[in-house]
Amino acid sequence: MGTLITISWRSLWRNRRRTLITVSAIGFALAFAVFVVAMGEGMYSRLVDQATRQQAGHVTLEHRGYRDAPAVDLAVARATELRRALGRLEGVSGTKALVLGQGIAKSGAGAVGVALMAVEPEIEAATSPLADRMVAGAFLAAGDQRQAIVGRALADRLKLSPGKKLVLASTDVSGALVEELVRVKGVFATGAEEVDGYLVQVPLTFGQQMLGLGADRVTQIGLLLEDPDDRAAVLAAARAVVADPDVAVLPWEEVIPDLASYITLDRGSNLVFQGILIFLSLFTIFNTILMSVLERTREFAVLLALGTSPWRLRAQVLTESLLVGLGGAALGLVVGGIPALAMQIYGLDMSALAGDNLSISGFAVDMRVHSELSAELLVGLGGLVVAAVGATSLLAMRRIGRIKIANVLR
Amino acid sequence: MTPIIRVEDVTKEYGQNGITVRALAGVTLELAAGAFAAVAGPSGSGKTTLLNLVSGLDRPTSGRVWLEGRELGGLSAAELSRVRLRRIGFVFQDYNLLPVLTAAENAEYVLMMQGVPKKQRRERVRELLALVGLAGLERRFPRELSGGQQQRVAIARAIAAEPALVLADEPTANLDSKTGGALLDLMASLNQEKGITFLFSSHDQAVLQRAKRLITLKDGAIDGDGAPH
Repeated sequence: MGTLITISWRSLWRNRRRTLITVSAIGFALAFAVFVVAMGEGMYSRLVDQATRQQAGHVTLEHRGYRDAPAVDLAVARATELRRALGRLEGVSGTKALVLGQGIAKSGAGAVGVALMAVEPEIEAATSPLADRMVAGAFLAAGDQRQAIVGRALADRLKLSPGKKLVLASTDVSGALVEELVRVKGVFATGAEEVDGYLVQVPLTFGQQMLGLGADRVTQIGLLLEDPDDRAAVLAAARAVVADPDVAVLPWEEVIPDLASYITLDRGSNLVFQGILIFLSLFTIFNTILMSVLERTREFAVLLALGTSPWRLRAQVLTESLLVGLGGAALGLVVGGIPALAMQIYGLDMSALAGDNLSISGFAVDMRVHSELSAELLVGLGGLVVAAVGATSLLAMRRIGRIKIANVLR
Repeated sequence: MTPIIRVEDVTKEYGQNGITVRALAGVTLELAAGAFAAVAGPSGSGKTTLLNLVSGLDRPTSGRVWLEGRELGGLSAAELSRVRLRRIGFVFQDYNLLPVLTAAENAEYVLMMQGVPKKQRRERVRELLALVGLAGLERRFPRELSGGQQQRVAIARAIAAEPALVLADEPTANLDSKTGGALLDLMASLNQEKGITFLFSSHDQAVLQRAKRLITLKDGAIDGDGAPH
């Protein structure tokens, strides 16, 4: 084994320039892939983080029938007790309660259909990205009752500003029409039209009263996780805690399917693009490996004549390819990993490219994009490249079996 | 006593551009163990083809070849490979050393393929390189050696595993007469002292005169067989 590696290693350096060019081609293709994929992963994580904090957490508990026909009467009972038990689960950093409903917001300037979201102000202030996106007035606070925050687009449409009156109309749990007068406490702007034009947030206790839910019933309980990657374990643990068969415990992907689909699609297309780039660079490598074998046909014929098994020579070609692949992978991981790590720490302001207001699936994208490097990403991409480079040597290896020793040595 | 090589009515034909070329035509011969024999003949007479068939590098169109009583025609490519590894040493006209290995590593190559332990091969190769007059040059790469020195390494490689037979195709063709003569001295002494059978080909009359037996080929057939004049 040691000799095989020695011969392979020295053989590579017989044509130093070619080896360096090949390693560089692999390295730079991988570096680009590492950087782009890490930036994408960072964006997805940030997007998921913001969406889950603004909505119902990484793991959501709601009535089993709510997804099919959202209505306030499909609520989760004994919310306080459940939250207490769920909050103790390993990996859960916090819980939140929401009441979601549909309604109409009316002012002297007109009426607009809106999404009503009743939230716990003290928890939302600490977790929801909306709290950081206030452009006028203030976010809801503990003790608030008949107060609401609205998006800037909705405020513009209904000519609202902090202190102005707003009538919210909806149907309660019994199906009766209810109307409540509230005052605008603040205006937020996320950059997402779906949020800024239609979302109205009110305090949870006010929302529960208005919709006739009572003090301990909510439409959603959300669990915020310390590490979103732990959600499978938390899901299982939460399902074990919840005894009520009417309560479903769902991952965020089922609660915000548009966002999950977007990420799956974007990640897939990103990987395909990077895959094509690496695949194209593999053509260069394939050609190089094949050339290096064809150039050494006589040398291989001599070794076969001496009694070397064709498998041993194939192993040598494979080892040479893997060494080139490993060199390229190491170069790529360093060259791509360092800037990606820098972007993870400092972030990259993408507003010059995409403007200040970019939203995906109704959620505003933070234009300061931080990459997300992980061992899985580095090992996965590096391993894939090494394996792909190894695979490119298969044809060259096949040629060894076709060497006619006597013809070559004649 | 079983001859080390037995060739019986061997014919070898090659197809070239739709034309069949007969390289060997009904060759029959035997070579005893311990022989120091040469194959002579002009270019195209079939010398290399005969050596290739004897070593199992090529298969005859008709006829049969035995090595140490074992018929090569019945062996698979892998079995032939093992026979070459264990029983035959090769010396080529162009030396054909592996350029990425040092003199010692080249000489050690066949032993390594045979799975001989490292310590044992190192000791054996050190002795061999001293025997072929290359002591002190063990760590030199082929490009750092003269043609004669490279051919000596090739001989060390050929005899390292103590094969029954060493086949040398024009071993002195690329060497000056003095170096070529020294190489033949070395081969002859290995033949005498270690009993290794040598079968080599050459055009050079001076070289051929050194053989104890001279097989002359002409147009693919044996034209003469006996002691050189």
